[in-house]
Amino acid sequence: MTDIRSGRRAPVGARRRVSPEARRSGIGLAMALPPVVLLALFVGVPVVLAIGFSLGHTGGLNSTIASIGLNTREATSWWGTAQAYVDVFTDPRFTRDLGVTIGVTVVSTLIVLALALGIALNLRLRGGRLASVFAGLAVVPLFIPVVIASWAILTFYSGDGFVRTVFALVGLTGPTWGYTTVAVVIGSVWTSLPFATLMAISGVQSIPDAMIEAAKDAGASSFSIVTRILVPLSAIPLVIAATFTAIGVLGSFTVPYFTGPNAPSMLGVDISKYFQAFNHPQQAIVMAVVVFVLASGIAFFYVWANFRSAKKEGRV
Amino acid sequence: MTTPTKTDARSGLTVTALTKVLSNRTIVENFELDVAAGELVALLGPSGCGKTTTLRMMAGFLQPDTGSVSIGGIDVTDKGPDKRPSAMVFQNYALWPHLTVFKNVAFPLSIKRVPRAEITERVMAALETVNLAHHAHSRPAHISGGEQQRAALARAIVQRPDLLLLDEPLSNLDAKLRVKVREEIRDIQQRLGITTVMVTHDQDEAMAISDRVAVMNAGRIEQVSTPTELYANPRTLFVASFIGSMNVLPAPTLFESASLSHVPNAAPDAAADTSSSGTSTDDPPAEAWAVRPEDVLFEPGSGARRAGATPVEVRRVLPHGHFSELVLNAGGAEVRSVAGGVPPAVGDHGTVTLNNVRHYVDGVLVDGRARTARVLAGVKA
Repeated sequence: MTDIRSGRRAPVGARRRVSPEARRSGIGLAMALPPVVLLALFVGVPVVLAIGFSLGHTGGLNSTIASIGLNTREATSWWGTAQAYVDVFTDPRFTRDLGVTIGVTVVSTLIVLALALGIALNLRLRGGRLASVFAGLAVVPLFIPVVIASWAILTFYSGDGFVRTVFALVGLTGPTWGYTTVAVVIGSVWTSLPFATLMAISGVQSIPDAMIEAAKDAGASSFSIVTRILVPLSAIPLVIAATFTAIGVLGSFTVPYFTGPNAPSMLGVDISKYFQAFNHPQQAIVMAVVVFVLASGIAFFYVWANFRSAKKEGRV
Repeated sequence: MTTPTKTDARSGLTVTALTKVLSNRTIVENFELDVAAGELVALLGPSGCGKTTTLRMMAGFLQPDTGSVSIGGIDVTDKGPDKRPSAMVFQNYALWPHLTVFKNVAFPLSIKRVPRAEITERVMAALETVNLAHHAHSRPAHISGGEQQRAALARAIVQRPDLLLLDEPLSNLDAKLRVKVREEIRDIQQRLGITTVMVTHDQDEAMAISDRVAVMNAGRIEQVSTPTELYANPRTLFVASFIGSMNVLPAPTLFESASLSHVPNAAPDAAADTSSSGTSTDDPPAEAWAVRPEDVLFEPGSGARRAGATPVEVRRVLPHGHFSELVLNAGGAEVRSVAGGVPPAVGDHGTVTLNNVRHYVDGVLVDGRARTARVLAGVKA
């Protein structure tokens, strides 16, 4: 108080002075901290523990699951053991299911991309009411829970389902797709289509009219405009749509669990079976690690494509 | 290297009775234009006058409701832009950002399946024509606005079009660059002899590089003339006020002293009627008189009054460098004049006489400078 009255600066205040930049970056760090800590604690630590467990580190926080699980392999060296991986990769069931998982992922992603791009291009180049209706309908699966959609797909294509009934009415034998890999692909396309369509539409719609008109003026046909201008210019949204669809399908459980066959099944279903029904948690985690590695590969492609495009257009 | 030249004597443009109505509004009405081979014609007008719509109908992006477009004597009205022998330079250049400058320019040729060696040769020739060969492998984002403009021009001329269409080609450049690039465009256009139509709202641009200027207003052509003729003999009041600076007066009162010099001391009280001088010409007045500022001759000093001169007071002086614009008050009426050398000061008195007064009835010129005095005498009578 005496300091204020005397007009002199308080020595304590002088020592506490912080530059505005430092204060701002401090506030920014504090705001970013909660989610980072949350991720590290509840995702990072379990991931590290799980990978350790898959390598045979059964002590510490892994001791409970190690004591419950069957066929648990113990570490034989400082880094662990690859025996659980050998178990999984020498099991013909796993390699077959890995192939099916990759196959379903690739086919579903291609179909989703083709449909989403078709809807977006139709809206951009032709427009009109019908194109808008298609674009609107493509988003509908977003509002229908996957469980319900899976059941609907199953009954629609099952032996006594709608498709075969209609075929039978005209004296034909329709396909039975319920509990087949085809139904899994159909279900995966259904669940992935809305996001991919929204991305494709936003990508294609953001291309200025003049770019399309310049191509038309240069004599390009609609096909050339699509393949040489529209698709390359909306590459990034399409890559986002493709990677998100692929990662989603790769790790899907509900759709293959409900609509797919018992064998071959996708890895999401296998992980669940190994973990619960067979009580082989270590092998289940090995499969999860494999799925994680595949997803990382897709994510790397996403980052690489983004970087390449940014470099081309002079953004980096 | 061969230069991308093509000078076909027949490759002119003929547009007849073009009309376009969009959402119940007539955008272009009965548009007629003949462009000779190798000529550069500018479509000049305020925004919303229909000039870009007209250009888009010439390019084939819009179908006219009536009328026809012929390029090189061949009717192309029903053909799309990909089937017309025309090439367009877009306002924002519309270069494709994922392709290099070379590939942008090569695109029209690769679409037409021109052999690879010929593509390389023609693209490099076009890039050299616009002085951009050193940037062939840059991407559009890495070159400046002026260079992007030239790349867009190269993409158009590489096609060896019969008709080159430029849509506000300079509007995205800064003032200094605009003057430089417009001269380059004119130079290239003349060297290649390409028939060219350019849309612009900038009269300086239109006057500086065009062979002829078509002034458009509300979807119609007001006048098509050479730049000099357009300035000297504006046929409508709109053209008179749109091209250059013009004093538009609703009554002949200020001129009486100039033209009817035989009437001494022309009614000074009537001067107050001209207070609304220089009003907008959106809705042309039934009668108007127009005179260029350089035809308003200002004489400083209120001493010995010249015959027919009107006394004025200097209200404002706007320096333009080598000359100054004067805003003068003549008994309530405001007229603009110009002064070279040392301009008078605000508040100075002087006299003005008017030359080359034009008389417009319902916005149309009824009398040029030659017969001004007689018409005014008639009006007075």
